[in-house]
This record gives sequence, C-alpha cells and structure tokens, in this order.
Amino acid sequence: MIKDNEYEALEKIVGSQNISREPVILDTYAFQWCAELLNVINDKPPARYYLRPAAVILPSSTEEIQQIVRVCNKYGLKFKAFSTGLGPWNCVSTPRTIQIDLRRMNKIVKIDTKNQYAVVEPYVSGAQLQAEVMKFGLNCHMPGAGPQVSPLASATSMAGPGFTSASTGFAGRNVLGVEWVLPSGDLLQLGALGQKNDPDWFTGDGPGPSLRGIMRGFVGAKSGLGIFTKVAVKLYPFPSKPEWKISGESPNYKFEIPNYLKFYIINYKDWDALTNALRRFEEEEISFMCYYASRGAICASFANSREEMFSYYSIHTRLKRPLTLMIGAQTEREFEYKKKIVEGLIQETGGKDYTKKIKIRDVSYAEALRCLLGFHGFLITGCFQSTHGGMDTIEMAIRMAKLNAPIKRKFIEKGGIADDQGEGVWLATYERGHMAHCEMPTMYDATKPESVVGWVEYAHACDELDLKEHLGIPFFIEGDKQHEWYGPHCMNYHIWLRKIKEAFDPQNIADPGFYITSKKTS
Amino acid sequence: MTLELKKLADYKDIMERCIRCSMCKWIPQVQIKSWKYAQVCPSIDEYNFHAYSGGGRMIIALSLLTERIGYSEELLNIVYRCTACGACAVSCKYLNDLEPLEVIEALRKKIVEDGEGPLPAHKKYMKLTEEVHNPYGEEPSKRLDWLPSDIKVSKNSKLAYFVGCTTSYRRKEIAIATARIFNKAGVEFQLLGEDEFCCGSPILRAGGEAQVLDLIKRNIKAFKERGIETIVTSCAGCYSTLKADYPRYVKHDFKILHTSELLEQLLKEGKLKLKKEVPLTVTYHDPCHLGRCSEPYKEWHGEIMEPIPLVRFPVPPLPLRQGTYGCYYPPRNVLKAIPGLKLVEMERIKEYAYCCGAGGGVKAAFPDFALKTAGRRLEEAIDTGADTLVSCCPFCATNLQDAIKANNAPIKFYDLTELVLKAMED
Ligand SMILES: Cc1cc2nc3c(=O)[nH]c(=O)nc-3n(C[C@H](O)[C@H](O)[C@H](O)COP(=O)(O)OP(=O)(O)OC[C@H]3O[C@@H](n4cnc5c(N)ncnc54)[C@H](O)[C@@H]3O)c2cc1C
Ligand code: SF4
Ligand code: SF4
Repeated sequence: MIKDNEYEALEKIVGSQNISREPVILDTYAFQWCAELLNVINDKPPARYYLRPAAVILPSSTEEIQQIVRVCNKYGLKFKAFSTGLGPWNCVSTPRTIQIDLRRMNKIVKIDTKNQYAVVEPYVSGAQLQAEVMKFGLNCHMPGAGPQVSPLASATSMAGPGFTSASTGFAGRNVLGVEWVLPSGDLLQLGALGQKNDPDWFTGDGPGPSLRGIMRGFVGAKSGLGIFTKVAVKLYPFPSKPEWKISGESPNYKFEIPNYLKFYIINYKDWDALTNALRRFEEEEISFMCYYASRGAICASFANSREEMFSYYSIHTRLKRPLTLMIGAQTEREFEYKKKIVEGLIQETGGKDYTKKIKIRDVSYAEALRCLLGFHGFLITGCFQSTHGGMDTIEMAIRMAKLNAPIKRKFIEKGGIADDQGEGVWLATYERGHMAHCEMPTMYDATKPESVVGWVEYAHACDELDLKEHLGIPFFIEGDKQHEWYGPHCMNYHIWLRKIKEAFDPQNIADPGFYITSKKTS
Repeated sequence: MTLELKKLADYKDIMERCIRCSMCKWIPQVQIKSWKYAQVCPSIDEYNFHAYSGGGRMIIALSLLTERIGYSEELLNIVYRCTACGACAVSCKYLNDLEPLEVIEALRKKIVEDGEGPLPAHKKYMKLTEEVHNPYGEEPSKRLDWLPSDIKVSKNSKLAYFVGCTTSYRRKEIAIATARIFNKAGVEFQLLGEDEFCCGSPILRAGGEAQVLDLIKRNIKAFKERGIETIVTSCAGCYSTLKADYPRYVKHDFKILHTSELLEQLLKEGKLKLKKEVPLTVTYHDPCHLGRCSEPYKEWHGEIMEPIPLVRFPVPPLPLRQGTYGCYYPPRNVLKAIPGLKLVEMERIKEYAYCCGAGGGVKAAFPDFALKTAGRRLEEAIDTGADTLVSCCPFCATNLQDAIKANNAPIKFYDLTELVLKAMED
C-alpha cells in the first residue's frame, strides 16, 4: 500500500487533518452506488464495496493538486479525482491509488451575467450554482443525476445528459474555459483562458488552444487524463420568472409555481407518432424540457412515495408513448404564444393531453426546474442503473428503445431485473432536437446477488445490441477490456484513445481504470 | 422510523441500500436558495471526509458490522463527532426511506455495548448522572437554587415544569423567566426539585441505552407518584427525549409540552397578554430536538411485500419521521405576538435548520467543533440583518452564546421566554 515516506510527502502538502489512510475512512470511498455491478463485471462477488484507495486527500487549491500529482509521479502512485462523487466510476481501480476528494474546492469563482457563463470549482453543486445564477435571471445545466452533483465533473469528465437538455444542452457542450492539472502536474488552460493577454473564460475554442474533444470526448475521461480544477460553463436564461417561493415541511412542500411555466404530458399512440411529435415540438423551439419517459417513469417522477406511485396505476395503463414537455416564458404574451403552439401541435401530431389526469404537484415544478425528477427512479427498487446511452438523432434514439424492449423482457423473465414490461426508457432531446440520447433505466436490487448478476447480463446484451444495430457508444464502455471489444467495431477509436492517454500520461499516473491504459509504461 | 427498538444488525439492509448520493450533506435540494447556506451537516462541514456525513456513518456501521473494519480511535472520533442533529435523515428521506440518524444511534449503542465507548467525556457525565442525577456533577440539593423567593409553586398541580439539568444549573435565566411567565399567566405548576433527575438525553445520545432505561423508569415513576399529567419543559433535549424516546422504552400517557406550545396556547386563550413593545429584529434558531427530532416514533405492524418481484412494498406504508411534524410554529407565533418585534428568518429553518453544534455529546467531547458550528450558525443569523438571535433550548443557548463571546459577534441572544417576559412587564 502506501509507504510512510510517500504518505508524509503528501501530508506535508495539505496538513495532517486533510489526509487519511485509516481503513474507517477509506471504506467510505470504496462503497459506491453500483459498486456491486462493477465487482460482477470484473468477475468478483457482488459486494457493495469496490477497492479501497491507498489514501484519501483533501486539497484546497490548484497548487496543492499540482504538488500532489508531482508526488504521485515521484513515487509511482496513481491518483483518482472525485468531485461530488456519485457512482462506481469514482472508485480507484488499483490499490496504490490516492483518492483526491475535491470537496474543499467549492467556490463559484465568477458569474459573468453579460456573457452568460459561470466559473466553478469542483465541489460547487448544481443547486448552489442555480440558486446563485437565478438571482440574475439565469439558469445552468444539470445532469439527470440531480442538483447535488458537480457541474464541473459533469462538464469535464462524465457523461452529461439532463432533463432540461432541450434548452440547456449536453454538459460536454457547455464547457468554455478550463483549468486542468495534467498527469505530469503541469497546468493547462484551455480556451480563451490560455491567451497570453487578457486571459478569460468566455470560450473553450480559440483564440487559445482548444483541446475540448481530447479533454472529454463523448463520455469523459473519468479522471483518466488529470484533474480539472476550474471550469467555465455556459448559462441560459431562466425559463420563467426567476422566483423560488417554497413553504411547508418536508416532504409536503408547497411551491409557488413562478409565472409563465407549464408542464404537459401528451400521450401518443405509438413510436412513430412520438418520433414525429418530438421532432415537431423541437422544431418550434419552445420547450424548456422535452423528453420521452416511459409511463412507469412518469408515475415515479410525479410521486413521492411508492404508494403514491402505485396509485397512478389506472393512468399508467392508459398512457402509451407519453411526451413530457415543459414550456416557460418571460412575459404573458410569450407564454400565450407558446401555449397556442403547443395546443396546435397536439392537434397536428395526434397527441392527447393527459396533463390534467396526472396530479402534477406544484413541488414537481420545483423538482423539474432543479433537475430532481430522475432521482425518483430510486423509489421503485431502491436502486437502478441505465444501459445504452448512445447519442445521435431522434430516430436512432427511438429505434434503440424499440429494439431494446424485447431483449429487456427476456431478462425480466429470467428474474434478475425488475419488471417494467421492458418499457423503462428515458429519451431526451438536445439543443432543440438536433440530437437525442436514449438510455434504459433498469431497476434491480443491489443487495441481492442474483439481481446484480441479472443486471450485468442484461447490460452485456444491451452493449451487444448497440454494436449490432449501430446504436452509438453506450455510457459505460470504459476501461481496456470494454474499449478493446468495442474499438475494432467502431473505426478502431480505441487506438486513438490510447494515443491520447499515452501523450498525456504515459506512466498511467491518472487512474486509467475507467478510461484506457497507456502501454508505454516503463 | 418505528417505535420498535432495533439493534445495529437490524439496519443492515438499510445500510446496504445507501446510494451514496450525498443528499444528506445538503438541505433538501428544493430548499436551496444560496451557495452559502446550502449545506446541512455540521460534521462534514468541519471534517470534510465522506466518513463524516450521515451516509458515511452508515457505511462505517456496515463495515464494522460485517467486520471489514475493527474498532479504532479514529472510528470512535468519527462516530462521536456528530451532533446527532438528524438533518441528514430529513434530507435523505425527502426522496428515499433510509434512516441515517437511527443507524448512527444504533452504532453508538453497539459501541457502548461492546465496551469500546463512549468517549471519556461522555463516560464522565454518565457517571455523574448516576451519582448526582445531572451530567454537570452539581449537587442535587442545589437544583432549585435558581428559584426566586417570590415565585409561587404549587405542590399538587397536575402540571409539572420539568426544568432540566442545563436550565437548572447553567441557564437559570430561562427557568426564572419561565416560572415568572407561568405565575403571571396564572399557570399553576409543580417543581420536582431534588426529585427531578436528568431526563437521560445526554446518555441516550452517547449510546448508553442500559443506563438510560433505569433513568426512564425512575422518572416515569416519579411523575406518576406526584399525580402529574402534563409535563412542560423549556429544554428541547428534554422535550424530544420525553416525547419521542421515552415511549420506545416505556409507554406513558403524559402530555409533553414545550414552553413555546404552552405559551402559544395561553395567547390563544387570552391568558397571556403581551403589551409592552420589544423593539428588536430577531431571527429564530430551531433547536434540532424541538424541531425535526421531536417527532414521535410510530407503531408499525406490517410486512414487506413484493407485489412485483424486486419491488419492495411495506404494507401498511412504513411511518417515516421526516421532520414534518416538529414544533416549528409555536415559537414563531409567540414571537409574532410580541409588539414591536420583527421576525426575520434565516435560510435554513424548521426541519432543515442548521444545528447549533452542541448536541449528541459534541459539546462535552469536542468543544472546539461545537464552537465552530455555532459560529457558522451565528453568521447565518447575522446575515439576516437581525440584532437578536432567539431560541428555545438551554443547550443551544449556551453554545450560541459561547460563540457570540468567542467571535465578539454583533448579535445578542435571548431565550424565547426572556423576550416574552420583557413583553409582559408592566
Ligand atoms: C438518478 C440518477 C440519474 C442520473 N442521470 C444522469 C444523467 O441524466 N446524465 C448524466 O450524465 N449522468 C447521470 N447519472 C450518472 C451521473 O452522471 C453521475 O452519477 C454523476 O454525474 C457523477 O457524479 P458527480 O457529478 O458527483 O461527479 P463525480 O462522481 O465526482 O465524478 C464523475 C467522474 O468524473 C471524475 N471526476 C470528477 N471530478 C473530476 C475532476 N475535477 N477532474 C477529473 N475528473 C473528475 C471522477 O473520477 C468520476 O469518474 C445519473 C445518476 C443518478 C443517480
Ligand atoms: S444516507 Fe441517504 S442521502 Fe446519504 S448518501 Fe445514503 S442514500 Fe444518500
Ligand atoms: S446527525 Fe447531524 S451531524 Fe450527524 S451526520 Fe447527520 S447531519 Fe451530520
């Protein structure tokens, strides 16, 4: 594990209170959401813990991180960054790896209201950022994981779809200037931040160097290319009046729905009608949110208990292919205009307005604005994880949903994953429908080995389906084994990915477990 | 969750179901209104490692139970550097049904049962409580030293003012104000005097279950022997212990009221008249044990069904303590009835209020941590523009006033009763 002299070198940087190698602390970093899946994928028993890091360290600045990385280089230790830290991809993949918990780097560095961006450190949460930018009538993108996670992690390192993606984009497309500690310990500044004169955060591409594609690509390097210490993310206008008035006591909060905001649940008879509707609604550029979530997911996302969720059963049976839409406006006139368009499009696309039949509580509006609807997925079995994740056109996303259903049903019959009739789908549009992604949230029981194994077997079948049917790269193709399987089918991208790793980190100092390994190690 | 007392092993399933989402580090997400006041757990705010959060402590408990780790000094420090404020549980249960606070409490009980804890500071006050019936080691005969000679006390009222150890010995001003208000409003009350023993809260929070059971039985017997039907207390710790914890050990049918509830009732009945202007801008600090932690546990006799394979469904629904029914409005309503007083709210209030930092044995074992947490709370109070911080608990009062002194903070502190008394004075 970690030797005394190595530990002391790290301790010198942050002080003894900000580093630990006590098993009691390390275990809390080995335990992760979905760690049991990772264990099974790696041919181990389905334990809720993955590997313990060699030590956990809590730096407070970019300079400290640079020093830590240099110590890692000196002693051949690896490091793994961790912002808000939700998910198995935060686990270290080899024993001599230091977990760098960035919790102490929690500042909103700058809010540029004129150019609509904010600069944040790793441990600023989505809700914190939104609360602050709302004060200027602005909004930020948050991943579906919820408002408690880090916009920086999402923007620089890890996937990035969100419920509001129709209007707030994909996390990876919202990145502007970036401050990046490379695996060597050197500092790299991307975008306008790299300019010699008047460096600033306002753009991620030139006049300074643009390495955005290399930095994260589609799903992010998951700490495999260094540590991002600050990032500028795009901001968007808040969809309605930026007011947040909430009263009552948990869980019975009452939210005063701000003016000019409206939810719609529009039911379509089949996939074709839904495809057309998604395209048409997005062409009109009116939505704040626009996605397809299966009927079960709708019942879960508007309920705050299992009992309430099951009470929607009668609606559940009548919904076929529901489109969830939210519109927002700044003025009465704009709102009326958007509502008229929605009504017209419902007619035109053959949809049925189910909004009034589903009791959408006022607090669901707050949860929608704050990106908390996805979290309701845990209501059902206490645990879920998605398969697939490919991003392309609306048509491809729908095709994926259609092709997946029979496969999912087969695995439901086998008994490992929970029965959603093969229907569990979340399909979101991006940037006014120019892109769409689709994933299959799949409920399982993390405490039952047969269920964990069931999920892994089903996920493998999904990955195979994606290959066979050209459904894009799934979110969780990560690590050597997966990339080497997928790469040859996809223009040998894994060779290029490895070249990037080797150029930036030949010695694999940045934990390559969820990225790709350099073969250049001496 | 339920009235039934459980051992740590009974929570294994709950611990294994933690999703490590970190919701327990923040106030409920829909309540976040600023960067500055978004967090809710004093422990992780101070120590930063995940182990110091509600979820982190669930993992530690699971690791200990499954023997992945053994006892160590570090483990004990982590387990006890937590004010048992319950904020983590409120945030977790907004969209989940896990019980981080109950797990923390069960973990502490296991530590004591295994002879590995609590910490020396807790052992000291437990021993003192056994010997002299209060954790401060004060003479039982001095329990009523606070009582001014002009206060009328009844010998046979069915209502008892349970003063509590901290108020009796350390925050006498609260006892005096409470007794004066009662006299002025015509509320007859008895005092137990030397016969008033500690309610058991500090012992219970440190994990001393065996010791507390004797105390509970003894106290209930004493109340019964005196014909008491209603117990009023001005201490949040006593209040939640009597109201929420006692029935888990010994069922009782005493009515438990906090002074703020009685005062609100007296105001409604017109028995309490607040006429004098108190021109202060105040902000109110919700004590954890008057608020979210005072919610009683409920009986649950049901079964976990699986109507659909893997979908667990408790029938009937499991009662969750989510902080919904804490005592939040009585103190506020009383404050609002004071002429000339302006109430301004902090961002973190009611069921998601930030702890003062004293509870759970922290003030005794980790006074610096307690003071820092109180400092954070003071900053929030000062940010409201208030000149006065008010609360309803002698323990919060002590810690917050210590922090005011230590930080030379530009804010005064009063207990609610002191302000009420000011408004009653002719
Ligand atoms: C209910 C639910 C819904 C979800 N929906 C979505 C969704 O819609 N879209 C989506 O993208 N994801 C979704 N996820 C998965 C989610 O992305 C991740 O769980 C989450 O974004 C990662 O959490 P985090 O922001 O806390 O980042 P972290 O967990 O801290 O980090 C994520 C990854 O990035 C790396 N990393 C973190 N910080 C840095 C840094 N500073 N420098 C370098 N590397 C770093 C980490 O090592 C890790 O591999 C969902 C999860 C849940 C539970
Ligand atoms: S205790 Fe609850 S809120 Fe905290 S990490 Fe676990 S599941 Fe999430
Ligand atoms: S009880 Fe309070 S201090 Fe302890 S973990 Fe929960 S929120 Fe933190």
